[in-house]
Amino acid sequence: MNRFYLDVHALQTVPPSNLNRDDTGSPKSSVYGGAPRARVSSQAWKKATRDYFGAKNLLDPSELGVRTKKVVEVLADRIREHDASVTESDALELAAEVVAATGLKIEVPKRKSSKKAGADDAGADEETQDRPPQAKYLVFLSTRQLDGLARFAVEGAADIAKFLKDKDNKARVKQIADTRHSVDIALFGRMVADSTDFNVDAAVQVAHAISVHRVDNESDYYTAVDDHNKDSEPGAGMIGTVDFNSATLYRYAALGIHQLAANLGEGLREDESKITPVRRAAEAFIQGFVESLPTGKINTFGHHTLPDAVVVKLRTTRPVSFVAAFEEPVRGDLGGHVSEACARLAEYIPDVERAYGDEGSTLTWVLRVGPNTRKLADIGTESASIGELVASVGQAVAERLEKPE
Amino acid sequence: MSVLALRLAGPMQSWGSSARFARRTTESAPTKSGVIGLLAAAAGIERGDDEALATLADGLRFGVRIDQPGSRVRDFQTAHHGVTGASMPLSERFYLADAVFVAAVAGETGLLTRLFGALRAPAYPPFLGRRSCPPAQPVELGLRDGDSLQQALTDEPWQAAAWYRRRHQDEAMVSLTVLREADEDEHDADHQRDQPLSFAAEQRRHALRTVVSRSVNVPNPDVVRQQAGRPRHDPFDALEESV
Repeated sequence: MNRFYLDVHALQTVPPSNLNRDDTGSPKSSVYGGAPRARVSSQAWKKATRDYFGAKNLLDPSELGVRTKKVVEVLADRIREHDASVTESDALELAAEVVAATGLKIEVPKRKSSKKAGADDAGADEETQDRPPQAKYLVFLSTRQLDGLARFAVEGAADIAKFLKDKDNKARVKQIADTRHSVDIALFGRMVADSTDFNVDAAVQVAHAISVHRVDNESDYYTAVDDHNKDSEPGAGMIGTVDFNSATLYRYAALGIHQLAANLGEGLREDESKITPVRRAAEAFIQGFVESLPTGKINTFGHHTLPDAVVVKLRTTRPVSFVAAFEEPVRGDLGGHVSEACARLAEYIPDVERAYGDEGSTLTWVLRVGPNTRKLADIGTESASIGELVASVGQAVAERLEKPE
Repeated sequence: MSVLALRLAGPMQSWGSSARFARRTTESAPTKSGVIGLLAAAAGIERGDDEALATLADGLRFGVRIDQPGSRVRDFQTAHHGVTGASMPLSERFYLADAVFVAAVAGETGLLTRLFGALRAPAYPPFLGRRSCPPAQPVELGLRDGDSLQQALTDEPWQAAAWYRRRHQDEAMVSLTVLREADEDEHDADHQRDQPLSFAAEQRRHALRTVVSRSVNVPNPDVVRQQAGRPRHDPFDALEESV
């Protein structure tokens, strides 16, 4: 399949805040261009993006991946792909056992001609039936999960019942089939790798966000009064410090659309375009990444902001971070951090594209807020709203996917 | 035979060679396994495809030049299990911030031409040792004739950032450290467990490889010539006199 990437760049200002702290409680920091910078780790922002998917219902697992009741048949085919020596009926039996072990309820569909009318949860001994058992409801499975289940089945093929009695194997099969997280796992991989066998290589790459300017952390000294203290000289009930900073952050993420398509798989329902799930996941990613915010100390600082400027590129060459535009720290005394950061990007982006890009195939969109971002207006197609941006990028992704190899 | 030169620069990089479990350290320069990994990813070699990996790992000799050493940053990370919410082990990750390196691989011209092309339209995007560390600019510098790593790493112009070059504007030549695999006739080599055998998720394996340390002198394009009549100022002169 054609290789292409989506890269998302955002400039976002946060007021005094502590979004992401280290073990001493200070906001995380780094050094770039010889100057200290505020930093928000990639894992913090990925977590925020994933949480945002759930909170805003951006992604419904049932929209994406393989959605089928015929999970036993699909898995049996996959088992035979992994081990061609397994007969068709053995594969069906294996698949039924494994699917049952994941906790999915399966039953043999009723048929007028069939004497056996009752449903059987275990689904075993069905090889004499001419119809394999089905799940009671539509099940969403990603390609990787199916592969994992097929490998698992082949591994225990000698005596599947005994294999599944083992506590560790039982736990493993449930974990492989944990369907609720498939789409975000296709995007982000597993956040916590506790079963390396079934890891998915993330389609998304998120960089640590860093401030475009020099930042030194500050410390807020606070006192709190004890309301019930009746002493003549009450003093403070509590004192302490909270470290914080404020920053204009450069945020960058790249999404391999071809990787996303491979992770989600192509075994979709007959009547549905195989492009739809990829498009929906890409759209959800852009919106989730742009609008989400790590919630560290958010009730203390109330740092709810959104990016001032967003640049999205769809390209057939490698994704490119524009962070080098801020290697020389931006100075705030030249009209504000956002304004100068936008001016830097407006100069840097055409330069780097001319030197390394593929202008013929690269598409660019801009979403911007306020007069400080005016210099970015000519960088790409302007979108009036995040909805418009997401829809037009999604449209372009779908068109690229439809193009023949 | 050719040499493919890469510029490895970004706000953060991390090149582990002996890091395990919850403490993930970084070497002070890119590792062979990290750079071979970057090339393999660009070429679309899947994890676990040890045969294809061996073509790169055994077919390419590796060297790196430290153009701007950067500084170490410690990152403290907490995590929770996605399904159960249970707290996972706290981990410490170390990064090199603000560093610039020139890495070079020497090998058969056809293979390097393919890899050079793959870097322009990679199967998996490049990163500098860790997924969260994308390069600040495209990494490929170009293909150079010849098969001498030492020569290629001597000829490559100094890649340090402008602010860093300014700090060294009094030096007409800068001395840079080169760490590379030894030639056959070099017997002062150290060993590092950094020859990738397998990147399979279940079982990553590395063998030993040689590493020799050399220094090269590279011209500084930003040198400010001493002007006649401008007094030379070195505060440490006074110290030496008084000793």
